[in-house]
Amino acid sequence: MAVVAAAAGWLLRLRAAGAEGHWRRFRGVGLARGFLHPSATVEDAAQRRQVAHFTFQPDPEPREYGQTQKMNLFQSVTSALDNSLAKDPTAVIFGEDVAFGGVFRCTVGLRDKYGKDRVFNTPLCEQGIVGFGIGIAVTGATAIAEIQFADYIFPAFDQIVNEAAKYRYRSGDLFNCGSLTIRSPWGCVGHGALYHSQSPEAFFAHCPGIKVVIPRSPFQAKGLLLSCIEDKNPCIFFEPKILYRAAAEQVPIEPYNIPLSQAEVIQEGSDVTLVAWGTQVHVIREVASMAKEKLGVSCEVIDLRTIIPWDVDTVCKSVIKTGRLLISHEAPLTGGFASEISSTVQEECFLNLEAPISRVCGYDTPFPHIFEPFYIPDKWKCYDALRKMINY
Amino acid sequence: MSLNLSLAQHPHRQQQQFSSLDDKPQFPGASAEFIDKLEFIQPNVISGIPIYRVMDRQGQIINPSEDPHLPKEKVLKLYKSMTLLNTMDRILYESQRQGRISFYMTNYGEEGTHVGSAAALDNTDLVFGQYREAGVLMYRDYPLELFMAQCYGNISDLGKGRQMPVHYGCKERHFVTISSPLATQIPQAVGAAYAAKRANANRVVICYFGEGAASEGDAHAGFNFAATLECPIIFFCRNNGYAISTPTSEQYRGDGIAARGPGYGIMSIRVDGNDVFAVYNATKEARRRAVAENQPFLIEAMTYRIGHHSTSDDSSAYRSVDEVNYWDKQDHPISRLRHYLLSQGWWDEEQEKAWRKQSRKKVMEAFEQAERKPKPNPNLLFSDVYQEMPAQLRKQQESLARHLQTYGEHYPLEHFDK
Repeated sequence: MAVVAAAAGWLLRLRAAGAEGHWRRFRGVGLARGFLHPSATVEDAAQRRQVAHFTFQPDPEPREYGQTQKMNLFQSVTSALDNSLAKDPTAVIFGEDVAFGGVFRCTVGLRDKYGKDRVFNTPLCEQGIVGFGIGIAVTGATAIAEIQFADYIFPAFDQIVNEAAKYRYRSGDLFNCGSLTIRSPWGCVGHGALYHSQSPEAFFAHCPGIKVVIPRSPFQAKGLLLSCIEDKNPCIFFEPKILYRAAAEQVPIEPYNIPLSQAEVIQEGSDVTLVAWGTQVHVIREVASMAKEKLGVSCEVIDLRTIIPWDVDTVCKSVIKTGRLLISHEAPLTGGFASEISSTVQEECFLNLEAPISRVCGYDTPFPHIFEPFYIPDKWKCYDALRKMINY
Repeated sequence: MSLNLSLAQHPHRQQQQFSSLDDKPQFPGASAEFIDKLEFIQPNVISGIPIYRVMDRQGQIINPSEDPHLPKEKVLKLYKSMTLLNTMDRILYESQRQGRISFYMTNYGEEGTHVGSAAALDNTDLVFGQYREAGVLMYRDYPLELFMAQCYGNISDLGKGRQMPVHYGCKERHFVTISSPLATQIPQAVGAAYAAKRANANRVVICYFGEGAASEGDAHAGFNFAATLECPIIFFCRNNGYAISTPTSEQYRGDGIAARGPGYGIMSIRVDGNDVFAVYNATKEARRRAVAENQPFLIEAMTYRIGHHSTSDDSSAYRSVDEVNYWDKQDHPISRLRHYLLSQGWWDEEQEKAWRKQSRKKVMEAFEQAERKPKPNPNLLFSDVYQEMPAQLRKQQESLARHLQTYGEHYPLEHFDK
């Protein structure tokens, strides 16, 4: 009985967080989908912790790419993969559990549609997955590798940093693995703890030769993923797992590209620049509203989108205008990518700054389980940091 | 009850005929019979997998039906490739000692593994190497000029001076550029083989590595992927007895690398790596079947590293001169093939003398030319990081250019292309 109640509790949490699927190394209770139902009124303090720390804000329906369809993040990924396999006969998708549709359903239907030689499982071995993918790409074919959770990308670190990133340079452009894209679920999800919540982009930011891209929404995800797949350099595409089901909007059915290495100013403002990527963009958007409402402060909100090579010009241009910069990410503070942005901006825009650059990030701890609500750089922490910057 | 659920939820799983009255094992994970006696399988390292050879140590064919009957031109090409490599190795090793190049690795004793296997492949078969396979390139007629250019990092280096010596690469000859990290090429080779299979390219991929590199996780990954994904690949292990100073007794405790193959479901063989014909035969047959049957083959070529690991190594620190001399004098792939050539009447002392002189002259000429050439323009420090140069990197390039305008005298600019 207690087991069933515990299971129901877990499932409610999952539902509220919007995540879905099997957890490969999850040691909790089984997750049969039949148990899911909408959460009841949230009066109980214990239930309050299940409310997400962000509100997904869809972008207006895109008009310039033809017919659209309501898709959530995992469906927009499927759509991008579908488009890729349709127009590029060399393209293949592989990784753990992708054949049946993937633990986050990103590859549902693709094996049936394109065949088992094009959408297939690999043994459980990340260094093998990436190494194998590099080899496919070396022959010129398009390799789309999935690493089941960004937390498990580290066995492949050598292949990514020492091999993929350096293939073209070290061979004098005789060989390259530009047609490799690695996709991986990324970021906090409400209960993922140490090994299902990580945002490892900073480790890869230090590696010339690869591109690292993180979308904030289904529409962005499809366009950016297609750009990564078509880009002539090896790319890592991190997908905010908490958005797989929680984020839904109109997304074009046909393929389209969103350029890499271009940040997007999603809201113009004059007093403070806020920079984030992935899920955190929605947090800072809300912070911008709070700032407007409570402090009369006008915020310019930037989604960085590509971590490396990053769009220095857009961020600096904004800071030159506003004089204040706040950067926020879930990943730990020390050595996080905010430090790179902060360092570059103070070099380029020193005399324009009205206050020290503010970084609102995760603490320098592993990602905790029960303490997640305290760990994450939520809107209150960002708001408070913003307020201090304004009053500096 | 659990049976019905599993069938309902996993309709794509292979349907097995279950009968609870049947006493045979039903486990999805293994196809085997039950046994009621407790018995551990004993690893057999006393009499391991036998070593296939065609010639004895004096170059005589042992079993005539195994003689590949290669035509004279081909055998001479094998011989000349090995000896030219040997000559180049001696000169380049010396050049490092004299401070002319920064680093070098010789191939002494292993030339047979290179040319025997290379000769059994198609010219378009893709090669992934580790770093001691220069004979494969030599067999494919990679010019001395380019070997030297890479070692000198001069303006003719196809690699644009970016890597340490012996990190060769050649797109035209289908030899993927060498990288220093060990065994990383193994899963990559598997991926390339998979792509070749999909493309119906009729191509095999060969992947070379040493017995030390075979300890890396990437080797395990590569073997397992090749078997499960049914890739047309030849895994060619050069077991030369040492990984720098580490002897095989400290590298593994099982029966070498060949014995691991069956563990992955891979067809495996062990050959005498100093017997060019054995290497040739095994590689030839492996190639034929790998492509025809889309499955991996593992060849463990037993050999001996006569030279030091590299110019940074002095192997007298960990092995006896007698041991090295034995291999140099009693079991060398070049000597054995020479004996074969002599016994065929295809070679003699005169030709040997003439060839030694000629090959030395060729190497010296290429060497002197390579020395004279300038290094590439320092701008090439910045290109090819990505296909296109990112804005921030261009700024750094410009920053170096400005720096050199003021501080150029402190840099060896005179050796570099303007």
